[in-house]
Amino acid sequence: MTARDGDWLTRWRLRTCEAVGSDPQLRGRPDVYAEGGRIRIGDRFRLSSRPVASHLASGPGATLEIGHDVAIGHGAAIAAYEQVRIGDGTSIGPYVLLMDTNFHGRTGDQSVQHETKPVLIGTSCRIGSRVTITRGAVIGDGAEILAGSVVSSVIPPGACAGGARARVLGRAGDAACRWDGAAALLPELLREALGSPAVPELDADLSSFAWTERSLCTLTAAIERELETSVDADTVRRTADLRQLVATIERTRRANRSR
Amino acid sequence: MFGQILGKVTNAIVWVQSRLGGRIWLWRCDQVGSNTRTFWRPYIENRGRITIGSDVRINSHWAPVELMSGPDGVIEIADGVYINYGTLISAERRVRIGAKVMIGNFAIIGDTDVPGFTDRPRGDVEPREIEIGDGAWLAARVTVLPGARIGAGAVIAAGSVVAGDIPPNAVAGGIPARVLRQAQHADTAARADRQAVDSAR
Repeated sequence: MTARDGDWLTRWRLRTCEAVGSDPQLRGRPDVYAEGGRIRIGDRFRLSSRPVASHLASGPGATLEIGHDVAIGHGAAIAAYEQVRIGDGTSIGPYVLLMDTNFHGRTGDQSVQHETKPVLIGTSCRIGSRVTITRGAVIGDGAEILAGSVVSSVIPPGACAGGARARVLGRAGDAACRWDGAAALLPELLREALGSPAVPELDADLSSFAWTERSLCTLTAAIERELETSVDADTVRRTADLRQLVATIERTRRANRSR
Repeated sequence: MFGQILGKVTNAIVWVQSRLGGRIWLWRCDQVGSNTRTFWRPYIENRGRITIGSDVRINSHWAPVELMSGPDGVIEIADGVYINYGTLISAERRVRIGAKVMIGNFAIIGDTDVPGFTDRPRGDVEPREIEIGDGAWLAARVTVLPGARIGAGAVIAAGSVVAGDIPPNAVAGGIPARVLRQAQHADTAARADRQAVDSAR
């Protein structure tokens, strides 16, 4: 069922690529087509197209470079119309959309146009399921993008980012930096407690907010409910910034779990 | 009149097809219960262990359902589960789906970082078990992340990403999924459901 290296079917499906490394493995039937562009793929490439087909395209004069040991899940839509680079050892989850163009000119103009900005993804990145990566996105080495995020900016190396538009939540691999961690939930809880329209950044100064007894109460209750941690209002007031509050909460959660 | 007869004949054909399909397309599974049916062809890649209970229905009509287990992976699907099309369930350690769970289309349930590659060297990231409680309902395009536990009778809204624990009988949604409210008619619905199944027997 899985097409393997030397398999004529795998080679046939990757026939439009300029270079393909050793032992590529495809599951299902992906569409890989260089329409006048170039596709270069490293060793041990894995691409799943089951249950939903993936497609890789490279437009005229464009380059799509995929490093060694890259794995891409099913339902992926990857298009290069200038440059897309995926570094060695990066893994990409299912239903990822990764394009360096939006196929459009001005609003209302329905013709296909390409205003491109290269998309560069570093080495050993972990990109979650259903992530959308639009033109101009640069993801640093070892960064992690949480499932369902939308990335269109620069994510620094080793960072963990999530959300639509993805915000940096902390360091990759950190327990606090998962979707159920304090870093992902706290800004949203804070926004709800303050009733403000914008989600605060993690380095936001806590003393700069207009605290009332009511909003403090709402926040501590929300933290108790969503993160199973009790934090008193004074701690929130005394903490310098949101990042520090995240650290405090994660410390308490860890202690609770080990108990 | 003629339309009614045609409808009944079509239903009968679909029923026979789905019963036979359950026997044919699920042959790679270690265990399949009675009256388990498939609509069109699912993909099964079984390197570990896959067990499917009775009265399970798997719909692969517009996009196939895929079940895959790695060498140490176990997929347990209990009785009366319904899985809609385009869903991927991948286990490198363990994915357990409780009785009467409903899973919407294009769901992703995988206990590894990139579900669908159960033979891949995974580096330092360990797979984490997934458990979905009895009678839970996952709506369309839900992503269940490694380590997630969904309580019995919980409802997950469409498009949600589930990380961590969702308590029983909660309605949860969003990215990440958070509890929105308590499922109001959880008990009534479960009771009605049980009655309906009992009377059908």
